[in-house]
Amino acid sequence: MENVGALAVLLAFCFAVYAIIGSVVGALAKRTFLAISARRAVYTVWVLLTIAAAVLVTSLIQGDFRMAYVAETSNRDMPSVYKFTAWWGGMGGSLLLWAWLLSTYSAVVVWQNRRKFRDMMPWVTAVLMTTEGFFVMLIAFVASPFKVLAQGKGIVDVGDGQGLNPLLQYWTMVIHPPMLYLGYVGFAVPFAFAIASLMTKQPGDSWIHTTRRWTLVTWMFQTTGILLGAGWAYAVLGWGGYWGWDPVENASLLPWITATAFLHSVMMQEKKGMMKVWNMVLVASTFFLCIFGTFLTRSGVVSSVHAFASGTIGPYFVTFLAIGIAGTAYLILNRLEYLKSESQLESVLSRESSFLFNNLILLASCFAILWGTLFPVISEAVTGEKISVDAPFFNRVNIPIGLFLMLLTGVGPLIAWRRSSFESLKRAFFWPAASGVGVALGLFAAGVHHFYALVSFMLCTFVAVTVIIEFYKGAKAIGSKSGQNLLMGMMELTHRNTRRYGGYLVHLGIVVLFVGFTGKAFDLNATVELGTGQTLQLGHFTMRSVGMESGQNGNYQWSRLTLAVSKDGQDLGTMSPERRFYVASKQPTSEVAIRRRLDQDLYVNYAGPSDDGTKAVIQTFVNPLVSWVWIGYWVVLIGTLICMIPSKTKLVFPRTEVVGIAKHDIPTPEEVKHDTVEN
Amino acid sequence: MTRWKISFGALAAAVIFAAVALAQTSSGIMTQECRRVAGRLACLCGCKQTVAECQMLECGYSSPLRQKIMAQQRQGKDDDSIVNAIVTERGNEALAAPPTQGFNLLAWWMPFVALVFGLGAVYLALRRFLRPAVATTTPAADAKLLERYHDQIEKDLEKLD
Repeated sequence: MENVGALAVLLAFCFAVYAIIGSVVGALAKRTFLAISARRAVYTVWVLLTIAAAVLVTSLIQGDFRMAYVAETSNRDMPSVYKFTAWWGGMGGSLLLWAWLLSTYSAVVVWQNRRKFRDMMPWVTAVLMTTEGFFVMLIAFVASPFKVLAQGKGIVDVGDGQGLNPLLQYWTMVIHPPMLYLGYVGFAVPFAFAIASLMTKQPGDSWIHTTRRWTLVTWMFQTTGILLGAGWAYAVLGWGGYWGWDPVENASLLPWITATAFLHSVMMQEKKGMMKVWNMVLVASTFFLCIFGTFLTRSGVVSSVHAFASGTIGPYFVTFLAIGIAGTAYLILNRLEYLKSESQLESVLSRESSFLFNNLILLASCFAILWGTLFPVISEAVTGEKISVDAPFFNRVNIPIGLFLMLLTGVGPLIAWRRSSFESLKRAFFWPAASGVGVALGLFAAGVHHFYALVSFMLCTFVAVTVIIEFYKGAKAIGSKSGQNLLMGMMELTHRNTRRYGGYLVHLGIVVLFVGFTGKAFDLNATVELGTGQTLQLGHFTMRSVGMESGQNGNYQWSRLTLAVSKDGQDLGTMSPERRFYVASKQPTSEVAIRRRLDQDLYVNYAGPSDDGTKAVIQTFVNPLVSWVWIGYWVVLIGTLICMIPSKTKLVFPRTEVVGIAKHDIPTPEEVKHDTVEN
Repeated sequence: MTRWKISFGALAAAVIFAAVALAQTSSGIMTQECRRVAGRLACLCGCKQTVAECQMLECGYSSPLRQKIMAQQRQGKDDDSIVNAIVTERGNEALAAPPTQGFNLLAWWMPFVALVFGLGAVYLALRRFLRPAVATTTPAADAKLLERYHDQIEKDLEKLD
């Protein structure tokens, strides 16, 4: 069966190469039949990679331990769901998942646009298939998951495998990697459209609408993937946190940040025909940061707790990145003439300017994270000395940047498009600013003296009040005309302009996330040895060791501690953290016990018995407000989904001015009407 | 029979190995003072966390280092001298964040240098994109021209009558 998989991958590579040649020659020589055959080759690549993936998954589930990949990533006693997730538990399989998802996206894009963008689509196909070809080449020739274990000339069946890394045997790991990959891979689509528009010298706007929607979808997957990863780290790694600024975590955040910047600046291009070069740069940066993230995860160039599959594929990625970045830079510079701005700014005090600052801060944050991630490598190359860049560095640099970004999140919606007056700003800022300052003063009086925490809560209130006022004013206006109540008015308002009000909900979700992040400033923790009957006091919680028990099943051995927990004298029941030792992989893991509440989590990690075996070593954490991180994610998700729903009111964005043609400064009636709708 | 013996032996070895691993899981108790110092030091076991946060079983780096920190604190040493002693022994790699000296200063400066460059770029963009101010004063009306227009209007109105 492995031969079928290997053959399917090899054929997929051939068809991907054909799709590149067919679409490029078809576009240059204006041969429609070639472009159409290239399109069909894209579908064929998807069929072949689906066959390859099906072969691998079947081998994993059936336990075909003649195959090296199956023997390395699974074992007989693993639950079936983890046998399936072993698909992406190693190098070859995860590359196959990447390639299969990209082929799926490519097939959907080519199918959706088969009657649109006739000039551009061959180039879109070529770019997508070049990326596809690169990954399929790696699977076919460098890291094949279809290799068999051989001894001499005979194939060996080892009988049982080493099992999946125990850290990956957790429910979020079933969906976290696919979600993250859906994000990583999806950013190839906007990039393909961007390159196609450059190739065909079409800076037009129709493609930007398509890419914005794709970017939004992939941004949603990326957000989901990142938060699921954080949830996994919190529940599995046992250190009481959810984000450790690990290089692989950072790698997932970098394209998310540039994509966020793009989702904001693309509005400037849609409404004003501005920032075309910048948007090209952002789309390309996002794509290359995705490839860079995959390179970081797989190459072993930086050490990471998340690097579950590393090998010798680094040089291939470096080559692909170098050629890709150089080619894209050349293309953008060569097409500058076609990327000229169509409008001008009317005032520094305008929504347009706020987008410039928003992009600046997002990019500064992105650079700071990238710089910190790569600095150990740079430092060692220059000075020969190894250094560490861990959480303290990232927190110190990124917290101020993040807070400034939160400020802009609140300021942006208060400033009108085109121009604002100081008087209108004073009116708009008063209540949000007063609420923010009020909350900060109240918290200070209540004993919260942590500087960054106070600033964060103040800004969170500021932004939240901004968003609430926007909804309230709009809903009230609708209610006064139609007689609808406030809630119905808000729903009607959102339906009329889903993009705008969905965006506000996303901002509100980010506020909730920041509230959760800020709780980190008030963590409590203790590590102690507890004998049966002994107690530990942490904050308001008291934990009494009831006893330890142990046992085993086919997959792992376990040792479990039971703690009776009370808060301020009130009995809260028991918590049972567990330590496991996976037999096949000979690796231990923690199954932490978490009591989740809105105000604080009680988190207990059983680190195992003490050296003399009579006591239990436990690590306990009181983590305030962590639940708000997960709630914030759901708000962001709902906001993003609302953004994707078509608005009830069709908005048009007439340009205010065309460069090179002098026009009077008085807005046309159309513009006045548009501004009324927008603001 | 031989296969059965091998299987039994392998199982017994696995159980003993597991028992030893589970027994050696004491990660060391940390005082709050120890946590304060350990938070400034990077764990070098590959976990990418600080010595205070590393939860790896049998971590050969963090566990002994925590004991060492607490021993030195019992001797009355302050935080800086403990950290400096560890850096002297292990090099700058032992610090969780790059030291603020020499080439490593770049690690701290570059994000803010980039931010300043970015601000410069935004300033240039604003200068380039900002529409020149439109003159707001109304030019004085040409009296003769106005008179001519009035005459013309009068004539046209008369024709209408």
